[in-house]
Amino acid sequence: MKNKALIVAISEFNTLTRSKAFLVGILMMPIFMAIAFGVQKVTRNATDIKDRPFAVIDRTGVLFPTIAAAADEWNRGVAATGVQTAPRFLPVQATFEEKDEQARAALSDRVRKNELYAFIEIPASALNPDANGQVRYYSNHPAYRTLLSWISNIVNREIMNRRFRDAAIDRSLVSRLMKRVDVSELGLLQRDATGAIRAAAPVDKVRTVAIPVGMMMILLFSVMSGAPQLLNSVIEEKMSRISEVLIGSVTPFQLMMGKLAGSVAVSLLLASVYVIGGTSAARYFGYGDVIHGTDIAWLLLFLVMASFMFGSLFITIGAACSDLKDAQGMMTPAMLIMMLPWMTWFAIINAPESPISVGLSLFPTASPFLMPLRIMLPPGPPVWQIALSVVLTAITSMAAVYAAGKIFRTGLLMQGKAATVGEMWKWVRAS
Amino acid sequence: MTDAIRLSDVTKRFDGLAAVDHLTLTVPTGSIYGFIGPNGSGKTTTLRMIMNILLPDEGSITVLDSAASTAARDRVSYLPEERGLYKKMTVRRLLRYYGQLKGCSIAQIDPAINDWMPRLGMEEWGDRKIETLSKGMSQKVQFVAAVISQPELLILDEPFSGLDPVNAESLKDVVLEMRRRGTTVVFSTHDMATAERMCDRIFMIFKGRKVLDGTLEEIQAQYGFDTVRLRTAAGASALAGMAGVDTVNDYGQLQEIRLSCDSQRFLQQLAAKTAVHHFEITRPSLHDIFVRIAGLEGNGEVNGRR
Repeated sequence: MKNKALIVAISEFNTLTRSKAFLVGILMMPIFMAIAFGVQKVTRNATDIKDRPFAVIDRTGVLFPTIAAAADEWNRGVAATGVQTAPRFLPVQATFEEKDEQARAALSDRVRKNELYAFIEIPASALNPDANGQVRYYSNHPAYRTLLSWISNIVNREIMNRRFRDAAIDRSLVSRLMKRVDVSELGLLQRDATGAIRAAAPVDKVRTVAIPVGMMMILLFSVMSGAPQLLNSVIEEKMSRISEVLIGSVTPFQLMMGKLAGSVAVSLLLASVYVIGGTSAARYFGYGDVIHGTDIAWLLLFLVMASFMFGSLFITIGAACSDLKDAQGMMTPAMLIMMLPWMTWFAIINAPESPISVGLSLFPTASPFLMPLRIMLPPGPPVWQIALSVVLTAITSMAAVYAAGKIFRTGLLMQGKAATVGEMWKWVRAS
Repeated sequence: MTDAIRLSDVTKRFDGLAAVDHLTLTVPTGSIYGFIGPNGSGKTTTLRMIMNILLPDEGSITVLDSAASTAARDRVSYLPEERGLYKKMTVRRLLRYYGQLKGCSIAQIDPAINDWMPRLGMEEWGDRKIETLSKGMSQKVQFVAAVISQPELLILDEPFSGLDPVNAESLKDVVLEMRRRGTTVVFSTHDMATAERMCDRIFMIFKGRKVLDGTLEEIQAQYGFDTVRLRTAAGASALAGMAGVDTVNDYGQLQEIRLSCDSQRFLQQLAAKTAVHHFEITRPSLHDIFVRIAGLEGNGEVNGRR
């Protein structure tokens, strides 16, 4: 005869994996990534090509021709392939006195009426390096930065050229002398089994950052796809009184452990699909050596512990609530706890050994996600930190399962109102 | 005959109020035992305690010679009042799941499904999802889920409510057959006629306390021949203003009354007023007893009878 918790686990696994939510879950990460890449590609190609006419008030009297010539060159460039890929810049010259606010207001009105996109004022002192003159750019489109950057570059390049010329200094010589020396980022030299030294390889951001972060995302998505489903499952059983029938056949602890085991199996299945897919992709792109068997073993170990921890949390919420509306209120803090690694992983990437990174990767609810990330980021954390992380996560998971078992036993049959935190604490403490 | 269930001085309180109050009860093995009582009197709480879904605050419960039904779980089946079925599961998958949770293997369950479904007119439903079934159909599925493991003790909370007469009759036949096979059946009901016809013994709970327990004859014997069943040409209106009539239950064509005077003298007075077609001195029906306890006599008298 099969263990009853195993029967519940198999049923839970079948129910979860046959649902549409599971299919959405399994496709969510690749779809999410495909959409991200797709949006980038589409937005890169689908550029705004509306003309940008702008007025130039050049009080130096010498810069406008350069700006006009540069604009012609720009406009030829954006249509070089026969298809316009960026807006054309159309400078027009305007003149008015420095103190003529009426003229400025009139140009502002033209911008508001979309006759112009912007206007710039170049002071007469701009060519004088000691005068601190400022070029002013007026527009009501602060989000569009391309024109501003382009004007800034063109005006500054021409002003500097003129300053060098006025000082009788050869600009090309200065550029040559000022040429920067590149610093290439390398890993460490390694000795192979025969003692021969292998040259240090250049640091590859895909190898050192993208793949570890990808593995952490797999962990996070896998747990998020499995654990929250338990809440719906428990609430459905409570609302339709299935729980009464089940408790007539199995103990509450068997029922809860069966549900948890089913959810862990779903998360493992998802993670396996992602890991196999991710590893295959990594091999295809020449990064097969980055993912080691030990990394996958760590990932699976932390996945199991995280699934028990968060599964218990969501089962507790389900047992404490009498309907989905109640549950939504309790879901928010649970989801915030779950999203902690999502909000902090970049801090780990920037400084894996910093106190904040160490602290976060040892914090029990974040540890199952952030410690594997640190393990995969070279040179990796000290062994004692990994061991402490495993112990803390395991203790937290067991405490979560224990508390959930107590709350589940009482909450499962409670109808009509959601339990308060105080009531749940009382149930946990009851023998 | 041994006892399938023994409750000894069992009390269960909710928020300080006793839902079940010092209840002692034994259910003999192989019997059909009817639990009756008004809504909120403690029937379902008692059944849930027998199933170990709720734990008593005081007293002890023995089920199939085990200290709690936990040990006997696989030998006891329960049909709750509010049906608990997974809407998205197919009927066959659900029956297999519930059967497995009762300790049966698929090899045992599948023949049982193939046996039960045609008997209850469900042969075409195996692949249908529960959410597509009517209320009556769902109730039959839940019933099959309860009996598929061939339990030694079958506990049914309002098994016939909401069923049409044909389906109710089918389920009654199955309950009687289960009893013939040796299963002890306990069911709660509000249908007094069903309890009278089917139950070997009847237990009534009122305000958490036992007020009746015994065979129908034993219960009726407590009340003696104090009821007159009569049919007259004038109907209930003939009884208006007549001295010695304590209570009248008017069923339209028939009236059941209780008298505080000599029945022969009353018959003479009645015959003087209208033509009397039927005049029977009898014991009260279970329905009448129920109404007397729960409706008319309320707290005082019944609370003393345990």
